[in-house]
Amino acid sequence: MKLLIVEDQAKTGHYLRQGLQEAGYAVELATDGLSGQHLALSGDYSLLILDVMLPQRDGWQIMQAVRGAGLEVPVLFLTARDSIADRVHGLELGADDYLVKPFAFAELLARVRTLLRRGSQPAQETSLEVDDLRLDLIRRRVERAGLRIDLTAKEFALLELLMRRRGEVLPKSLIASQVWDINFDSDTNVIEVAIRRLRLKVDDGHADKLIHTVRGMGYVLEDRR
Amino acid sequence: MLVRLSLSARLALLFAACAAAVSLLAGVLFSHASEGHFLELDQQLLDSRLVGIRKALEGVDTPGAFESRRALLLAELARNPDEQLRVYGPDDGLWFDSLPALPAVPKAGGLSTVHSGHGAFRALSAPLTPERPGSPRLALLLDITHHQHFLQRMQGLIWLTVSLSALATALLGAWAARISLSPLRRMTELAGGVSAQSLTTRLPVSGLPPELADLGQSLNAMLERLESAFERLSAFSADIAHELRTPLSNLLTHTQVTLTRPRTAPEYEEALHSNLEDLQRMAQLVNDMLYLAKAEHGLMPAGREPLRMEAEVDALLEFFAPLAEDAQVRLVRVGTGQVQGDRGMLHRALSNLLGNALRFTPIEGEVRITLESGEGQLRIEVANQGEPIAPEAVARLFDRFYRADPSRQACRGEHAGLGLAITRSIVQAHGGEIECGCSGGWTRFGIRLPV
Repeated sequence: MKLLIVEDQAKTGHYLRQGLQEAGYAVELATDGLSGQHLALSGDYSLLILDVMLPQRDGWQIMQAVRGAGLEVPVLFLTARDSIADRVHGLELGADDYLVKPFAFAELLARVRTLLRRGSQPAQETSLEVDDLRLDLIRRRVERAGLRIDLTAKEFALLELLMRRRGEVLPKSLIASQVWDINFDSDTNVIEVAIRRLRLKVDDGHADKLIHTVRGMGYVLEDRR
Repeated sequence: MLVRLSLSARLALLFAACAAAVSLLAGVLFSHASEGHFLELDQQLLDSRLVGIRKALEGVDTPGAFESRRALLLAELARNPDEQLRVYGPDDGLWFDSLPALPAVPKAGGLSTVHSGHGAFRALSAPLTPERPGSPRLALLLDITHHQHFLQRMQGLIWLTVSLSALATALLGAWAARISLSPLRRMTELAGGVSAQSLTTRLPVSGLPPELADLGQSLNAMLERLESAFERLSAFSADIAHELRTPLSNLLTHTQVTLTRPRTAPEYEEALHSNLEDLQRMAQLVNDMLYLAKAEHGLMPAGREPLRMEAEVDALLEFFAPLAEDAQVRLVRVGTGQVQGDRGMLHRALSNLLGNALRFTPIEGEVRITLESGEGQLRIEVANQGEPIAPEAVARLFDRFYRADPSRQACRGEHAGLGLAITRSIVQAHGGEIECGCSGGWTRFGIRLPV
């Protein structure tokens, strides 16, 4: 998986590249619009991350060139300007997602993963398994070490999300959006409480904890043995 | 292109035109009347003269007879030097002409006016013996030059009056307009001096004429609104600086202290985590302020999709359910209602209210959302049991950065006192209103949205 970042702010570009590389992606960085467009048109990339305001060629122009060349690569826009008009413009031009600075890196990573996954066929899973935790998608039952766990509908949805994206740090905003369809940064600690209650049911009494808090980033479900 | 004239000039011109028209009309009427009067006088005079002449020429019907009476006629004529006479025979032959230089007189009977180098004459044409056909005809001419002179002088006077009265009223009008518009000039001067530093300036309204007093009051009201908006804006900027200063100062101090000596990896990690918290607070603050600014300036047009609010509220209550269970607070929704609105924005507004309500409800208490439709509006009430809010705080509750309890500032994750301001701006973006009241152990936030 090779990603292209076109970002003229040296510091931002550098940290984005480092973060994405450490998340396991091959990343190339262009710092101006012209070289960015040149690289993007080579067609070697699985995802383009474009800043809107760039010297020489702005992000919109690069995307137009890419779409004009018939490339279907997903495009994620980063912008400091958040106006409805911009958003609409971006989506009209065929952008796949749109992140407004300042954004959390965990949020970017989550969206990158979503976009990269979009093309591939999701496996028709009937159950999810992590360590001795088993989630039956058809009968909507959860078991840990053979013992049945009773979950509410939302707790089930939350656990399903965490298990489907095991190993990924999920920011609170993504959890709120995916589980409760709440699409703004809520100032409440609802997610924390929900995770705590889920943890109580899933991890309590087991030596190996599966649900982990990544401080300042979000939550992840993984087997850390 | 129309020339833009000043009000004073327009009024002066209008007055002048009026005065000129009135005096011109009066002059014309007067001159007509005097001309008629003169005509009448001339008629009478000529009629009386005609009697003398007819007497002098009585019975004459041939040139021979006429010659015999010539001396008598001349004597009669000599008595009136302003009078000339022509006598025509029955065959239109000229028997006598006292002043041949005069132009011909129309044959038809009656009065007419002729002009010549000798002046103007009124002419009366009449038969010598009216009761006998074929009688010689008389043309009596009266010198009316002095009448004409009088009329001409009068016309000159009329024109003079017209122009003088026009000029006088123009000047008077200009002066009057200038005097009455002087408060306007004072207003202009005052308004010209208004700047961001002197928004406290007000126009003195008491001395103004009623027409301008309204304008003055409107301008004063405008200044007042500007002043309060400007003050709020200044306070907002100061608040932003203050709100950002705290996390910034934390970041600076903590980072510098951490860097003063080598630390262990866990210590660095701890420092970074602490920084992250401050940074997240700052990011949240900036996002909230931008959201608020956009909502308040109409840059975020509220979408208009039909929403069944009971479903939306239930979704929100489900979201808050874990928190409520944790706090041992009951969440209740009563009633139903529909509204056209922006789903995301209304979620956010209600979620701010719900979050607050949960925070202030005691254990075993209740948070109740009531939906009520009617009279073209939807009423949404978010009520919670708990201590009433102080009355002085209620008025300022929706102000940006206002916190009823300043010590809660440190409360993590909280919207730096912007939550209710955001809620209000969302409600207003939907054309609705929000108010807050406390009674009977309940704190109620009432939203009214037009349906």
